[in-house]
Amino acid sequence: MRLRYAFLVWVVAAVLIAGTVGVQAQPKTTITLWYPAGDVATQAYKFRDPTLFLSFEADNGVRIQAVAVDYDTMQQKIFAAAAARDIADVLWVDMSWMPGFLKEDLFEPVSPDKARRWLAAVTDDYKQLSDYGGGKMWGYPEAGLDIYGLTWNKQHFREAGLDPDKPPQTWDEFRDYAKKLVKTDAAGNITRVGYAIRHVGHPHGVVHKHLWAIWGAGADLMDKPYEMKGGRAAFNNEAGRAALKIIHDMIYADKSTSLSFPDPRAAFLRGIASMQISETVSIRQRQPREAPTMPYGTGWGMSLPPVRRAGMKQVSNMNAWIFTVPKYARNKEMAWRLIEWLNSPLKDYEIGRKYDTTPRFAANWDREPFKSDAYGQAIRKMAQYGRKYPINLGLNGVFDAVGAAIQNAWQNRMSIDDALALAERQANQAILDASK
Amino acid sequence: MSVWLRRAQKRHYFHAYLFIAPVLIAFGLFRVWPSLQTLYFSFFKVELVRGRLTFIWFQNFIDLARDEIFRQATVNTLIYAASIVPITAGLALVLAVLFNERFPGKELLKAVYFAPMVTSTVAAAVVWWWLYNPQFGLFNVILKLVHLPPSPWLLSSTMALPSVIIFSVWKTLGYNMVIYIAGLQAIPQEYYEAATIDGADALARFRKITLPLLAPVTAFILIYNGIFAFQVFDQVFVLTGGGPANSTNVVVLELYKQAFQRYRFGYAAAEAMVLFLFILVITVIQYRAGRRYEVSY
Repeated sequence: MRLRYAFLVWVVAAVLIAGTVGVQAQPKTTITLWYPAGDVATQAYKFRDPTLFLSFEADNGVRIQAVAVDYDTMQQKIFAAAAARDIADVLWVDMSWMPGFLKEDLFEPVSPDKARRWLAAVTDDYKQLSDYGGGKMWGYPEAGLDIYGLTWNKQHFREAGLDPDKPPQTWDEFRDYAKKLVKTDAAGNITRVGYAIRHVGHPHGVVHKHLWAIWGAGADLMDKPYEMKGGRAAFNNEAGRAALKIIHDMIYADKSTSLSFPDPRAAFLRGIASMQISETVSIRQRQPREAPTMPYGTGWGMSLPPVRRAGMKQVSNMNAWIFTVPKYARNKEMAWRLIEWLNSPLKDYEIGRKYDTTPRFAANWDREPFKSDAYGQAIRKMAQYGRKYPINLGLNGVFDAVGAAIQNAWQNRMSIDDALALAERQANQAILDASK
Repeated sequence: MSVWLRRAQKRHYFHAYLFIAPVLIAFGLFRVWPSLQTLYFSFFKVELVRGRLTFIWFQNFIDLARDEIFRQATVNTLIYAASIVPITAGLALVLAVLFNERFPGKELLKAVYFAPMVTSTVAAAVVWWWLYNPQFGLFNVILKLVHLPPSPWLLSSTMALPSVIIFSVWKTLGYNMVIYIAGLQAIPQEYYEAATIDGADALARFRKITLPLLAPVTAFILIYNGIFAFQVFDQVFVLTGGGPANSTNVVVLELYKQAFQRYRFGYAAAEAMVLFLFILVITVIQYRAGRRYEVSY
């Protein structure tokens, strides 16, 4: 009996020892990284590559777990997780969410030394995207320039008797081109729009896709966009009215666009829209899969959006996804090490080459394949006219207000004047609430 | 043992409470406590991530009274409730009367009408989103077949709310129909036989017997659907997200946006309290009105 007990004790001890050794052999820590699922953010697909973090894991004895989170509810999940103090170690977030999160003091700042080094080494456009005032950084913007541009279908241009290598330069030309490109069926219903507009879905998306006109006309979302608190709405003016009116005229007077083509990128890639203005990087990534017969260069072209009048300054919005470390991350030190590794000059080059994205470090632009890449060089030139989203803490509310104004005006629910006046009141209230 | 405890035990109260204790505790923890906390939060500026509460008296409620978006969300919710409750009740009554008769395939058809009720709202809404698609959706294909112009459905600020209402009618009709069928089957046949002998035609029998005796069922359907109509969220969230231009924004969606997109939890709590009061008042009115028509066989 005693012998049997002794045997049992030895077996249990052996199992425990083996288990302990096994556990010790496993990585000590798991670093979690949240990114948006699906095709929402073009550069996110690399996180699905199991080899991406292999060398970091081997060098640091950790395991990296990249978790895809639904884009539409990602902001809310991050917030709820932060409130519960159970959040990912690294967050990859949309730049337009940053003000809302900063309002809640969610992120750790990048150390001043590292911020200084980063700002000195990246290109001007990335300096603009990274700097939150006085060289302060809250994270590292992702590789792959995400600038909004006009893309056009060259075949449609040829069919309409337009020069396929000459996009419209001014608003007048833009309207004229759209009228020539639109197609209707026998009953007069539009089957192909000259220009596809985004007017439904999340109000942020609606505003993003129309900022080229708001900024291009000389209006702004707010008068102090790059101060975190204070300021007033700056779109209820002649320029703001002109920005809404051009599309209103295209819908109702020219009939060159329609409210029934709500997804400009999908419509463009399906060949039912001849022009659209949105993230060019997205067209670049999706086109080989969704429109293989329409390659960049010969099938579709891209340029900066048209200007209101010849001689006016060209402008377009530029966005980025940002690597950040939340204040309540469990493994802050390793999280910083991971994002510094991902955002080092070497990885910037390797990731850019492997996943076909443009680099951030100025030095990497002088190396191949980026040096000879026609698309990359073209987008780099466009980025010189790029402008980042405001960082005002009331930005969420301002986007909601302007998004609703665009919808109210284009759907003829309100006059343009009334829609902008309502949006101005709501935006001012949002700015005020956020600054309390 | 105290006198009260001994008395309670004697009357089996103690055992009864013991049996329902798990449910009571869960209800208290997950329903009553959060509700009280919501009421408490409605008087504060709440910063959840910072863990900071600032008492601001009735400021959230004052801001609510001035909030144009909340006002529009309230109007949309009222339009939604005022449409969906009578439409689903009326249609369900008609269907229930039809299904109370005998005809081939009756059970299969009943199942078809009831199926949306057991389907996930989110999954069904995603399918309907495609049905409403202006270019490829089935509804516009049908309109085209009968030579009618296509409709923008969810993309139009005038059509979006009716489109959401149509979906919700489809979703809730089956449940109301089943409740009405149960009510119809509970009415004693003797009343109809007596009325027939007295010379009452089908319409008179329906008006004088069926409708009055179904009044308690109707009251239940109105209260039940009314409460859920005021809490509408998931179909709006999936189909339109409250747009275009807030034309389908409803109170619960608005408070969700305030809480999770603007991080104004105190303000959202105040909105929740207003909604709670609203539902409470409507329910009390409906309940009192319903009691007038109570019947017993």
